[in-house]
Amino acid sequence: MSESRKILLAEDNSILSLLLKFKLEKAGYDLIIAENGKEAIEIIEKQKPEIILTDVMMPFVSGLEIISHVRNKLDLITPVIVFSSAGQEEMVLNAFNLGATDFMAKPFSPNELVIRIKRLLQ
Amino acid sequence: MVNLYQNIVDYLKNAPEVIQFLWALITTLILIICSLILYLKHSRSRLRIKERIQKVYQKKYESDLIEYLYAGNEDNEISVEQQQIVNYFKKCSTNRLKRKLIITTLLKLRNEISGETADAIQKLYYQTEMMNSAAAKLKHKKWNVVARAINELTQFEIKEVHDQIIQLINHPKREVRKEIQMYLVKLFHFEGLDFLNILTTPLSEWDQIQLLEILQKFDDQEIPDITNWLNSSNDSVAFFALKLAKIYNQFEAKDAIISLLYHPEKEMRIEAIGVLSHMGAIEAVAILKNNFDQLSLDEQIAFFKMMENMHEAHDEEFIIPFMNHVNFDIRVSAMKIVKAIEIKKPNAFKIIPSEKKYPENTALIKAS
Amino acid sequence: MIIDLIQYFFFGFAFTAIVSYILLAIISAFETVDYMKKNSFVNYKEILSSSISPSVSIIAPAYNETLNIVENVRSLLSNHYVNYDVIIVNDGSKDDSLEKLIKAYDLVKVEYLINDQIQTKPLRAGVFKSTNPAFEKLVVVDKENGGKADALNMGLNISSNKYVACIDVDCLLLEDALQKMVKPFLENTDSKVIAAGGVIRIANSCVIKDGKLLDINLPRNLIVRGQILEYLRAFLLGRMAWSKLNGLLVISGAFGLFDKKTAIEVGGYDTKTVGEDMEIIVRMRRHMEEQKIKYKVAYIPDPLCWTEAPDNYKIFISQRNRWTRGTIETLKKHRKIGFNRKYNTLGMISYPYWLIYERLAPIIEVLGIFYFLFLLINNNIKWDYAIAFIVLCYLFTVMFSIITIITEELTYHQYKKKGIGIRLIMTAFLEPFTNHPFIVYAAIKGNFDYYFNKKIKWGEMTRKGMSNDSISKIKI
Repeated sequence: MSESRKILLAEDNSILSLLLKFKLEKAGYDLIIAENGKEAIEIIEKQKPEIILTDVMMPFVSGLEIISHVRNKLDLITPVIVFSSAGQEEMVLNAFNLGATDFMAKPFSPNELVIRIKRLLQ
Repeated sequence: MVNLYQNIVDYLKNAPEVIQFLWALITTLILIICSLILYLKHSRSRLRIKERIQKVYQKKYESDLIEYLYAGNEDNEISVEQQQIVNYFKKCSTNRLKRKLIITTLLKLRNEISGETADAIQKLYYQTEMMNSAAAKLKHKKWNVVARAINELTQFEIKEVHDQIIQLINHPKREVRKEIQMYLVKLFHFEGLDFLNILTTPLSEWDQIQLLEILQKFDDQEIPDITNWLNSSNDSVAFFALKLAKIYNQFEAKDAIISLLYHPEKEMRIEAIGVLSHMGAIEAVAILKNNFDQLSLDEQIAFFKMMENMHEAHDEEFIIPFMNHVNFDIRVSAMKIVKAIEIKKPNAFKIIPSEKKYPENTALIKAS
Repeated sequence: MIIDLIQYFFFGFAFTAIVSYILLAIISAFETVDYMKKNSFVNYKEILSSSISPSVSIIAPAYNETLNIVENVRSLLSNHYVNYDVIIVNDGSKDDSLEKLIKAYDLVKVEYLINDQIQTKPLRAGVFKSTNPAFEKLVVVDKENGGKADALNMGLNISSNKYVACIDVDCLLLEDALQKMVKPFLENTDSKVIAAGGVIRIANSCVIKDGKLLDINLPRNLIVRGQILEYLRAFLLGRMAWSKLNGLLVISGAFGLFDKKTAIEVGGYDTKTVGEDMEIIVRMRRHMEEQKIKYKVAYIPDPLCWTEAPDNYKIFISQRNRWTRGTIETLKKHRKIGFNRKYNTLGMISYPYWLIYERLAPIIEVLGIFYFLFLLINNNIKWDYAIAFIVLCYLFTVMFSIITIITEELTYHQYKKKGIGIRLIMTAFLEPFTNHPFIVYAAIKGNFDYYFNKKIKWGEMTRKGMSNDSISKIKI
């Protein structure tokens, strides 16, 4: 491996981001954190991450819009994993309709996330 | 200068009593305003300092927590680094503001993740003895302190305090009772709902939604018999049971729900129609159809909504006259039903009222 | 003798006004402490994500809003509540608002059966929805121009949800606004909540980006500063107390949540008044009183809705002029409830208070000035009384404002930046000169226009834009 693989995390919970950063960097990935959807879209356009993790509910630009932007406007096939909280089933369905690859309901196990990422990047 | 002062004093001395009184008032007001301004200045700077502390410590606690989580040994023992962090948190938690910040930090992560990391956070809550201090607050005089303590113990899912908390179940303050209900349900799931048997105060819609949300997060969906609650003399408990019946498809309770169609409360009857419709209880259709003229308008609307999913071909004759009903909802439902029946018929012909603009099949959208 | 009587009248008025202010302040202090205690540990997260939470429609009328419409709608769509939709009613705009919306949100025309329970002007281009699932909550209705009330009524007809939030399209709603506003409706078990009013905060000079409030500043403009203080006073002290007494007579047109069924039952908004936001509440309350149903108009003091206030005297005066006429019309229309014991608090406290200390206060004040001038001309003034009295009134006003500022600091503390405190205090001292005379002038002009200048009203009803139009009576 010449360079670690880039992952984008769009998540407004700072400590969760911090935890995942540790976890994923330990697993050999490079995690870029965006605190809101708008930032996430800028990073996606500039840095082209290999996988996108996003919360559905976020300030201003929602996770759904990120997916929509990636699939429709940028025409990328980058895998997208969506995090949702309980009761957001409808949003998850929408996320899949828009082209999300996978979803995880919060609270989720960070270890499981790492496994899913590994599998998607194989 | 001295002269002016002397003049004022003289003026006031010789002035009528009313004037003296007015100036006394003015002086008091000026003093009050000055002290208010000073107080404002003081509280603003205090708040600013508090905010600064908050910002700094929140960052610190977040990174400390992450460090704690990654400093663990393979064997479950506490490492030196971890012990340092525990001691530090313990020291900080004697300060009210800092304790609150630590709790927020722990929960902010714990609510989002599961598995061993979540367990580790739980362990930290015990190690720092914050659990003990929260439990001690259950005896506090102020109701809001008690409520907040229960709230915290609920979020960390501390089962040990159950006996202590249950003693407060009839607390005079609604907010405390509500926190207790959430505690019971969050920790003991459906078993926790037993408090409904003895509940005499109303369970507000807000409380019901919160309880249902908590219940829906569990994997075990083994729901107890709800007929007792459906028959409860506390209407809000019956409403809550109806919601349970709908969410968990309680066919066993069907008869009890059907009997609610005769409940004295109109809202209850309507709610029952909705649940029966959701469950596809076909026998309810016949009952309501036979009683149709006795039903209130809102019940009739609910009935037609029900028929949208549960009509049969022979209902057409009954439904057709309602396509010109004065009520909009009934009219729309009737049209939908007739249309659905027509489509199923062989050699269907379309009956579309000429002047009404009738939308094509799926185009019947409602804002929702 | 007569002169004495007149003097007693003015003294009496001023004295009772001051006493009522003090009483309201005390009640609101207790209510505020209670509210803060009760809501300090409420978990809004559950309700916000719950799919069984009740459905809410945001209804936002728009008239010639092309400049900001796309951004404004985006802000409305980003609310953190699951079960809601946004109904934008384009009220016969002459600009390209609709085209902009269609383009930005991939809208297509849909067939839509409208339950016309309230008479409104007809549709123009029709009803639109988005093809993009990310905007599935959006409904855009294009109708013939009929004024704000008419547009809101169209929204009431279109909505199929249990509650409706009527707001100005240019308002910035915070993300948790809906769940906080819906709470009283769900929480009250002993009476029916028919409406809930929110607080309006002034957004001038604040940094708003992408539909989010990023930075709160105090504007330089003195008229706006004066209004900030005025709003704080009205919302933090006045309304809080009135809600405790269950005597709220207005909900800001810029942000209020209604039980849709009740709103439709009373016939929706009155299209014949310029004060439709006040009028509908009075009518709904009157309806409930007549039906003898226990009810409540709730009030949520959290700063959830931010909007621009007029920053020049011309617009400021015309706004207050309109509010005055709205108040006159509403009070006149519902004269029956005033001093009528059958209407309880509404008839015996709220209505009389509004009549005397809102409707008549500016007139009495001006009469007082005339009387003073009359005495001046006749050289009949007891200067020592006059001066002492004026100073006392002035200081009282200032004190009241400063108490408001302190309340704000201890509760919501929105103006965090250094130096704002001192500037707010300065405003408390200046406001009686920078704003008050113009408010009185506008109120007198409003009275004049109402009685002698009927033409104005009708022109305004149909053509007037909506921004800055309905922040509504904010005095206490």
